[in-house]
Formats: sequence, C-alpha cells, structure tokens
Amino acid sequence: MGCWVGKIARVNLTTGKVTVTDLPKEMAVSYLGGRGFGARILYDEVGPSVEPFSPENLLILATGPLNGSKAPSSSRFSVTTKSPLTGTIFDSNCGGKTGIKIKDAGYDVLIIEGKAAKPVWLMVDENGIKINDAANIWGQDVDITTDTLLGQVANPQSATVACIGPAGENLVRFAAIMDDKSRAVGRGGVGAVMGSKNLKAIVASGTSHESVVDQETLDFIVYEARKVLKQSPITSIGFPTYGTSSLVRVMDMMGAFPSYNFSESSFGYINDVSGETLREKIFVKQKACWGCPIGCKRVTKTKNGEGEGPEYESLWALGPECGIHDIEVIAEANYLCNRLGLDTMSAGVTIGCAMEMAQRGIVDSGVKFGDIPSLMKMIENIAYRRGFGDALAEGSRRFSEKYGVPEYAMQVKGMELPAYEPRAMGVQGLSFATSNRGGCHLRGNMLGPELLGVPKIVDHSGASGTVGLLIFHQHLSAAFDALGVCKFAGFAVSDEMLARMMTAITGIAFVPHDLHAAGERIWNLERLYNIREGFTSKDDTLPKRFTDEPLKSGAAKGRVVNLAPQMEEYYRYRGWSTTGIPGKEKLKLLGLEA
Amino acid sequence: MLEEFQRIGRDLFLSGLVSSHGGNMSVRMGDRVLITHRGSPLGQITAEDIVETGLYDNDSSIMLASSETPVHRTIYQQTAGLAIVHAHPKVAVALSLFEDEIIPIDNEGSYLLHKVPVISSEIASGTAMAGIVAESLQKYKITMVRGHGCFAIGQVLEEAWQWVSCLEESAMVIYYARTLGGQTKEFRKNADQYKKW
Repeated sequence: MGCWVGKIARVNLTTGKVTVTDLPKEMAVSYLGGRGFGARILYDEVGPSVEPFSPENLLILATGPLNGSKAPSSSRFSVTTKSPLTGTIFDSNCGGKTGIKIKDAGYDVLIIEGKAAKPVWLMVDENGIKINDAANIWGQDVDITTDTLLGQVANPQSATVACIGPAGENLVRFAAIMDDKSRAVGRGGVGAVMGSKNLKAIVASGTSHESVVDQETLDFIVYEARKVLKQSPITSIGFPTYGTSSLVRVMDMMGAFPSYNFSESSFGYINDVSGETLREKIFVKQKACWGCPIGCKRVTKTKNGEGEGPEYESLWALGPECGIHDIEVIAEANYLCNRLGLDTMSAGVTIGCAMEMAQRGIVDSGVKFGDIPSLMKMIENIAYRRGFGDALAEGSRRFSEKYGVPEYAMQVKGMELPAYEPRAMGVQGLSFATSNRGGCHLRGNMLGPELLGVPKIVDHSGASGTVGLLIFHQHLSAAFDALGVCKFAGFAVSDEMLARMMTAITGIAFVPHDLHAAGERIWNLERLYNIREGFTSKDDTLPKRFTDEPLKSGAAKGRVVNLAPQMEEYYRYRGWSTTGIPGKEKLKLLGLEA
Repeated sequence: MLEEFQRIGRDLFLSGLVSSHGGNMSVRMGDRVLITHRGSPLGQITAEDIVETGLYDNDSSIMLASSETPVHRTIYQQTAGLAIVHAHPKVAVALSLFEDEIIPIDNEGSYLLHKVPVISSEIASGTAMAGIVAESLQKYKITMVRGHGCFAIGQVLEEAWQWVSCLEESAMVIYYARTLGGQTKEFRKNADQYKKW
C-alpha cells in the first residue's frame, strides 16, 4: 500500500490477546493516517457511555503515511483517546521515534484496549507484540524506566521507549507519555489513560522498509522542499539558532505574550527569558527530531542539571505564566516535568491559576507568583497527588470550579491555553474556542498569517474575512497531523509539495485539495464525536477574561475578543447550523453521512 | 477587505498586468464570494465595484458580477483557494501562444512556481473552461489560459497576486533570454526535473 504498511494491531490488555487486521485502503486514502485514523477508530468504537479511565476507552497510536520517508520533518505520530482532561476526542502528537518504529515493526496503527491485571509493558517489533511484566519499573520516573527497558531489550540502539512517569500512574489528568525521555505526547492526559490501563511503557523496534512508487520524482520534490526550508529565515535561522523560544520577544513586542495567568499581555522580565538569553546562558547543543532539517530542539545545562528544553510553550508556562524569570529554574522545572511525565503547559497554567487564586485570597495552595521553591514543590505534589497537588492534578478547570471561581482557569473545554494572548490577535481566540480538543495552538495557529507573514501578513484586528483563513489552517493542521509532518515545516513547505510527495510515494494521485478535504473530514468527524458526547455551541467559548476584560497595556491595549460575530461567521463558513452542528449537505460532501 | 481589493487592483494595473478594465479578483467567504464588478477598472476600485454572490447558488447579483464568476465559483468548489486573481500578463500571454507550459528559467520563478501549465479555451467564461482551469489549479497555484491570461489562487489576494507577478517576471526573463539568443548556462541542480512538476 505504498506509504502505509497495511496492518492494524490490537492489544487487549484484559485478555492478553493480540490481533492483527488489514488497514482498509478506503480509510487510508480518506483519513491519511495519524490523527485521521485515530478519529475514525475512536468514533466507531468509543461511545458516550465509556469513561476515559475505563478499560473500554482506547489508546490509539497511529502513524502517518510520511513517517519514515524522506519527506522532511516527518516523524510525528498521534495518540488518540477520550481525554480525561476534556472529555472530548483527543489526539496528542509527538515527534519522537515511536511512530516510525511501530511502522518499522509492521503496523500503521497500534490499538490498546482493556486493562492489565498488574503493571505491564509492551514490546513491539517485527516478531510481533509481547506483553511483559512491569513490576520492576512501576513507580519509577521516566529516565529510570527508559534506561531500565533499554537495558532489557536485544537491540537498544534500534529501539525506542514511550513510557509514563509517576504522573501517569497516579492518573493526573494532564499526564504525558514521554518518548525517549524528552519528546512528549504531552497534552490531554494521554499518559493518565495509559496509566489507567496499567501500561507503563511501549518499546518499539524494527527495520525500515519504505516503499516508494516513483523514487526519482520523490527525490526531486524532497530536494525542492529542503531548499525552501533552507531559504526561509524562520526554519533556517530562527528555530535552529534560538529554538521555538525565538518567538518569546517577537510575541512580547506584539503584546501577545501572556504572563501572570493571562492577567498581563507582556512580561516585565522578557529579556531574562528570551531565546537569545536561553542560548547565551544554558544552551548546550541543537537537536532535531528524526529526519528534520530544522532542528528546533535545545539540549541545555544548568547548575543543577542537564536535559532537553525548554521549548517556547514550556518556557512560558513554567516561567512568565507563573511570574518566574530565572531561565535556569524554568529549564529545571521542565526537566522535572519530563521525569515525572507531566504536560508542561497544563502544569504551568494550572499552577498559574492557583497562584492567582492565592493572590486574590480565594485559596492558599502554597504557591505564589514568582516563588521558585513553591513551583518546584507543587510540580512534584501534582505528579504524586500530594496535598493541594491532588486538587491541581485535576487541571485548572476542576480546581477553580471547586472553589467557585471558574473564571480564573485559563482553559477551553478543560484544556489549559497556550502562550498566545487572544486579545492581541485577530482570530486566535476563535481558534481556541472552536478547537475540538480544547485550548490549543496546534489546531489552526494564526501565528503564520497574523504575525510571521506566512503566507502573507493579514489584518489581525479580527476583521471579517480572516475566519476563512483560520478554517483553512484548521484543515491544513489536521492534514499535517494525519500525514505525520511537523507544522513547523509548514512555515516553508506547501500543501502542494506534500501532495506531490504522497503521489510519488503511493502512486495514487493526490492534489492539495485532497489534503484539505481530508483535514475537513477529520475536523467534522471530531466535531460529530464531541456532539455525541454532549458538547454544544456553548462549549465553543473562552474564559471571560478575554471577552470582558480589556488589555491593560501593551501593543494591543484596550482590546477584547469579540467572539460572537466571529463564531456566527465561522459556523456559516463551515456549512454548520447556527448552533454549530454540521449540516447534512456538508456531511454528504465529506462522506460522513450516517 | 475593500482596502485589500483596492491595493491589489491598483498594483495589478500599475504594473501592467491588466489593461484599464481587464482582469478580475475575488475572495471566498464561506458559501459566499466577493468578486469584482463586471468591467470594473481594477486600478480604481470603489465599494460599488465589489459584488457579493453565492458560491454554490446563483442569485441576481450575477447581473453585476464579473463575467468570469462561474470560473471563480468552480475554482473555489474544487480547490482549497480562498482568493483568486485573474490577470492578463502580456509576456506570459505571448509565450502561451507558443508553449504548452511555461517553465521559468530564473531563480525566483523556479523556486516559487516550478512550472505553469497552459490550457486552451476559446470562450473566456464558459463552463468548459471553468472545469479545466479548476482542474489545473488543483495541481498548480497558477495556470495560463492560452492567448488570454492567468488564474492564480492563494490564501489571500496578496498571495495570488504574487504568483501572477512572479509568472510575468519569469516570462520576461524567458523572452529576454531567447532574444539574446545562444545557449543559457544552467544553475539549477535538477533543471530537467521541472518539466515533471
């Protein structure tokens, strides 16, 4: 099947049974892979009666058709489940090697169902899938678990480990799965779902067997794609030199860099936490995901440790969002989250929420803005559900609701927001509000058109017309997630190039519109899933702070998000009803009719 | 949005990519299309020169809209484009009378366009032309209609305009190079592959 292996593996942890079935070709072409496969399978198998932590929930690891190919920045895979943080359909995406190795082992998709009677880990390789006892690693952190497992397998050089830490075992609702220690399948609590199944780790290994129909054409397109990546200063200078933290000062200049739980839209100590400062003070070396010519990752070293990160979002969430401006402390907080298996973003924003609640005298959970020891202690308390950490492990929405102040949780549908101040951007707030997995910057980020000028700078006052551009990017993002390509490559590599790569690899004629159509199909299927779960247009909203409180300072001073008219235009543009329900004609067009 | 139409329209005219009343532009707004008025001077667009009509359904606005509205509708229905610029770049039009595809030989054109197909249709606004233009734009960001002009798509008008401008510059380089005569010296590693784009 060209870039698809053609096999789906299913592991039932309750019974210990492993089954392998063929990947339907129609599903491959319509949903491409990754997030698309996850959405289709979860929609078909996990209904409203299934609780996120019940054995009936699925954990779906899905590879993309370009994983393991010569396409640049194409190592990303998806983990799809019903999220314990949001209750929505949820896919978390990662650039680690697990996706490629699962594919090398002979599977496009690995579905995990049921619950093991005792802690286990999975070995996935070309000999099949084996369930192993995890008694010796249960309770261990990510680093120890990874090293222990690599010491147990035959070919550690060709193996990769995706595991949970204490946070996942303790069902922290924003626990991550860590891939080779430092790559996170970070968001939505996928690590907690893994923990609920008593599954500590997945070790994958295999030998590449890429199949390409037209190698000469693929080589040419890949050459051209790498050329545009080299040409763009974003992908050839900014990200490689300063990492994603190159955005810190840029966002701050625009008045779009939140701090102190989104109560400010810039940061007084911005030069302490900039990409330039990170490079000057703690940078050790640049690192890249498999096959990526950009290399945005940072290996860093502080007085007390060494590790990977922080990336832009982690730096912000564990830093300015909590009023912290010591770059070494931020990096160490990042290392700690990685070892414990916590999503840095939700951890930081949830702690930031608790800090604001403490500042307002609502509840003193032991943390306050700018206080370094309390930040580090709370990260551990969350992972082990100790003291107030137990309440914060539920996420900012549940924590703030517990004290009757939901307005201080900076979240959408239960997921904590990323480092983009929506009041300073045109339709970024709409992007957050309509995201199918909750507050997220990776579901159609307007950073390109509203800030970086990719493809062109557009009016970021939220003027009519940019809603269509957001939808375009929502579909394109879904296609990237399905193909297994990093969105950073999208700052240079076009949909046209990706379609041509798919054609060269598969022999099936793909045009850019096919990728957008697949993206729209995935988006609408996710929407249908959430509607079936009981979500309505009332959930397509933002914290009141963004709609009711004008920005006090900065480049966007005085602005709020005028969400209602944007939402009306958004629904109409999508061919949905005024209450956000996809219309019959739209579903028929996408092949999603019941 | 009006300002964007005015800005791009003025520059299309001033750079000689359309005659006084030639060419047209549109943007997609969900199931609606904003398109220039039939015969409007792109260099002098006012609010009255922008017409709103349906993407799928016809309405009486068709009385005012560009005669090439059916082509724009078909393109939007069959591609991911959100904006269309149709212009009459002179040198590219001249080249289209000789070639079945325009393959830039300059760096910028090679980098951005790789190849621009040339299609034939005598009727400028017919359904048949709409179909083949849209089909071509599924694979390419800009397409020439022989002896007529080009259609370019983008996420915004400015992007589509860039493709038009780039095409004309590439066409002029080809023209100059041919006029100078002799064998050009190749600088691109995969020059022979561009025909396959």
